[in-house]
Amino acid sequence: MARKANKTRPAKQKPVAKKTAAKKSVAKKPAAGKPVLLRRFLRALLLLSGVGIGLSLPWVIWLDIQVRSEFEGRLWDVPSRVYARPLSLYAGKSISRESLLVELKTAGYRQLKQASEPGSYSVKGDLFSINRRAFVFEDGAMPANRFLLQLGGDSIKTLSYDSGTGDPGLVRLDPAEIASIYPLHDEDRTLVSLREVPELLIMGLQAVEDRQYKHHHGVVLRSIARAFLANVKAGRAVQGGSTLTQQLVKNYFLSSERTLVRKANEAIMAVLLEWHYDKAQILEAYINEIYLGQHGRHAIHGFGRASEFYFDRPLRDLEPQQIALLVGMVRGASLYNPRRNPQRALQRRDQVLDIFGTTGLMSGDQIRTLKPLPLGVTDKPRSGGSRYPAFIDLVRRQLRRDYRETDLSSEGLRIFTTLAPSEQEYAQRAVSRGLKDLQQRGLPADLQSALVLADVASGEVRALVGDRVAGRNYFNRALDARRQIGSVIKPLVYLLALEHVNDYNLTTRVKDEPVSLRQADGSLWSPANYDHKSHGELPLIEALIQSYNQATVNVGLNIGVANLIRKIKQLGVATEIPALPATLLGAVELTPIEVTQMYQSLAAGGYSVPLRSVTAVLTPQGDLLSRYPLRLMPLDNREAVAVLNFALTRVVAQGTAKNLNELLGNRAVIAGKTGTTNERRDSWFVGYSRDRVAVSWVGLDDNRPAGVTGNNAAMRIWAGLFRKLPIEAVDLRMPDGANYWWVDIEQQALTDPSCPGAVQIPFIDGTEPRMSTKCLEKKNSKNRKSLWRKWFDDKN
Amino acid sequence: MTKISGGLLILLVLSACSSRYPAPVEDREVTTRVRVPANQDSEGVQVYSLQNPAVKQLTAQARVAERDGNLDQAGAFIERALRIEPRDPQLLQHMAEIKLQKADYQQALSFAVKSYDIGPRVGEICSRNWRTISVAREHLNDTDGANEAETRAGQCMNTRPKGL
Repeated sequence: MARKANKTRPAKQKPVAKKTAAKKSVAKKPAAGKPVLLRRFLRALLLLSGVGIGLSLPWVIWLDIQVRSEFEGRLWDVPSRVYARPLSLYAGKSISRESLLVELKTAGYRQLKQASEPGSYSVKGDLFSINRRAFVFEDGAMPANRFLLQLGGDSIKTLSYDSGTGDPGLVRLDPAEIASIYPLHDEDRTLVSLREVPELLIMGLQAVEDRQYKHHHGVVLRSIARAFLANVKAGRAVQGGSTLTQQLVKNYFLSSERTLVRKANEAIMAVLLEWHYDKAQILEAYINEIYLGQHGRHAIHGFGRASEFYFDRPLRDLEPQQIALLVGMVRGASLYNPRRNPQRALQRRDQVLDIFGTTGLMSGDQIRTLKPLPLGVTDKPRSGGSRYPAFIDLVRRQLRRDYRETDLSSEGLRIFTTLAPSEQEYAQRAVSRGLKDLQQRGLPADLQSALVLADVASGEVRALVGDRVAGRNYFNRALDARRQIGSVIKPLVYLLALEHVNDYNLTTRVKDEPVSLRQADGSLWSPANYDHKSHGELPLIEALIQSYNQATVNVGLNIGVANLIRKIKQLGVATEIPALPATLLGAVELTPIEVTQMYQSLAAGGYSVPLRSVTAVLTPQGDLLSRYPLRLMPLDNREAVAVLNFALTRVVAQGTAKNLNELLGNRAVIAGKTGTTNERRDSWFVGYSRDRVAVSWVGLDDNRPAGVTGNNAAMRIWAGLFRKLPIEAVDLRMPDGANYWWVDIEQQALTDPSCPGAVQIPFIDGTEPRMSTKCLEKKNSKNRKSLWRKWFDDKN
Repeated sequence: MTKISGGLLILLVLSACSSRYPAPVEDREVTTRVRVPANQDSEGVQVYSLQNPAVKQLTAQARVAERDGNLDQAGAFIERALRIEPRDPQLLQHMAEIKLQKADYQQALSFAVKSYDIGPRVGEICSRNWRTISVAREHLNDTDGANEAETRAGQCMNTRPKGL
């Protein structure tokens, strides 16, 4: 709709006629006794007009069909609004100052000296005064609300009412509008009904654009005649003379041509509209249809959206001078664009205020107080298009299961998502900076990356990055890049092993020895370790944390590739996976989001939850259409998952991911696994804290060797993100059916904490070692003796 | 004919009204078979996690919605609370009890099991966990499982959690 961008209408003289508009001219009956000649002339004229009407009737019918279908159909094409998750604020919540500021900014909050209006905040030291806007959340409407927030360190110390006392408990910020899903014709509007439109706008529009509106039948012939004369006099089109109805028609069939035929068509359609619909319906349509600006390729239609676009507030909350500005812009949305031409817009606004004065809509005093006020337009529109195209892609895919694409782009739905703007910001930054950093370390400049961050317990996707460049989404790698996952698959092999309680526990000796297998094509497959050495017999936990290939294959062959594939499916991955021995080492192509789904189940202790990006969909009126509630799908053998989680924290503590602690500043116990594929084509890192699970991938789109490994690329990006997030240590308490024991791993025996080589590790009940170390036996006998002595002493 | 159909219509409307009116909380299965017996079991053995005020507020709102029969709304409040405290056994159990009232027995079972897994595994909440599991299993035609859960509920007051 770019052609609308420069659409302006020439200044036109306002209709000032006081009398009712001229009625349709109809042939009057000839007076009796008129001369025969005149009678004949009139008869001929009647005949001619009859023929004329007969010929033009189909044309009028065609116009009627056109204008009615526009009026009834087009009005409902309203884009859906997509919201981020609303930020919940309460005393004790972990949030850094930077995150709070990012959240406020993305939600369109302005920093003022005093948070005097909804949608603004002020800061003094660590004390924030926030004026929350009124908003219809997914569970109901909340009024505007002013409150104080005191930060202390990286959390909210206190939350209080504006008076400084009392705790409001929980306050939600109205969420950032992160995208709109537009109809194909790229029109952006927020529908308003006539009863939510301020009286001043309704009256003001008529005062400025069409004072005869209440009385005419679509056209005012006198105005047209006056405009015609003025145009003839000037030798070009300088006056319009259109009624609101004509303007509405003109907006329906936007075209810059100004031919007589077009004008005539518009006039006929205006009359037809007035014939079919009443004044209130037409005015409501006008208020929702009129073109009021351009945002990229999206045309801003109607006062509802214009109010949000220019002032960042709903139409009903506009102040009189703001209404005047919008009314003034009807004449030329581009010419009087307050962001681009503020001076001209201000003049036009004041001119409109004067008209409000002369028509009695406002007193002179009121106008005098309003004129010195600034335009009050926000610097930038709050949203538009999509700031997070990769995430919105995920939202669309989730909604496509329940909604048709046309409904999404035309029903004005309000879509509540799970995106956390601050976390998304950090994720994108981690990717962009991380790749730049890798380039400086000599890796290819065209490296690409994907990063998915989700909430562990709820499976809600908090951030999603699919490209190194923010906002670019020609290929969404987070959802669509199918890449070999390499060693990221190994924890699942070991999970299956741990489920085989008769054969394995974390201390079981496994063989890291050369292995050769005949493949389906007859060739021999002999995987080597990363360091090209075999490490002999070693405890299972050691094989996992050092990510030894040969040991994994040996364990995997014992448990069976088919079982591994079944496990991956149980963890929520639908992709078909080939049943080959190489599958055991991750010769499986999955997308980053699939890997995230798989690991969410593990991070949540076996309480699998389908990843979600949408929590609810509401109608424009705020009625609930769908809710996507939290649904748990507990896996069997959760005690094996808990034991595996422990082992994965050791990968970070002492295994292939041990550099992570340094990158994160040793903040908390994290579980993770690195992954690298053949010839260093892909770098993966999967890691989780108690509350967040994230998967990062780095590689080249054409799958060339990229020189990347799990811990030199993807892990760095992962760390770049988690450095900015609150991190809670992974919960390592065991569920029912598993417990910690003090053991000596080398001896595969129970031991005492004070004995040399004692470590505490978890076992599924019944799999703990039966043997005891000599050291433990000695202690036990000593303890028994002392108990005996105690009993003896007590008796005496 | 029209009289008959009119009468039918009124009957239908009335029955719709009566079925939409929620049963008082004290008459619901969740109260008679889970909350009250668990409370009687506990006899002072209470293990309460300290709840943050925001969670308390949402829990209170959920209770009101639950009383009024707005179970979806109640679930949404608890879900919000779980975003704040995802590992609060009380919240997980509350969700299980809401799912029980919604006759979503599979989910009731899942939330109750999770609450038990990460909860204290002793005292009143433990008893509510197992009683919910028992009722849910019963509805899912797992009689043996239901009986076993009933027995576990009885042990909540005298077994100490393992590994402590």
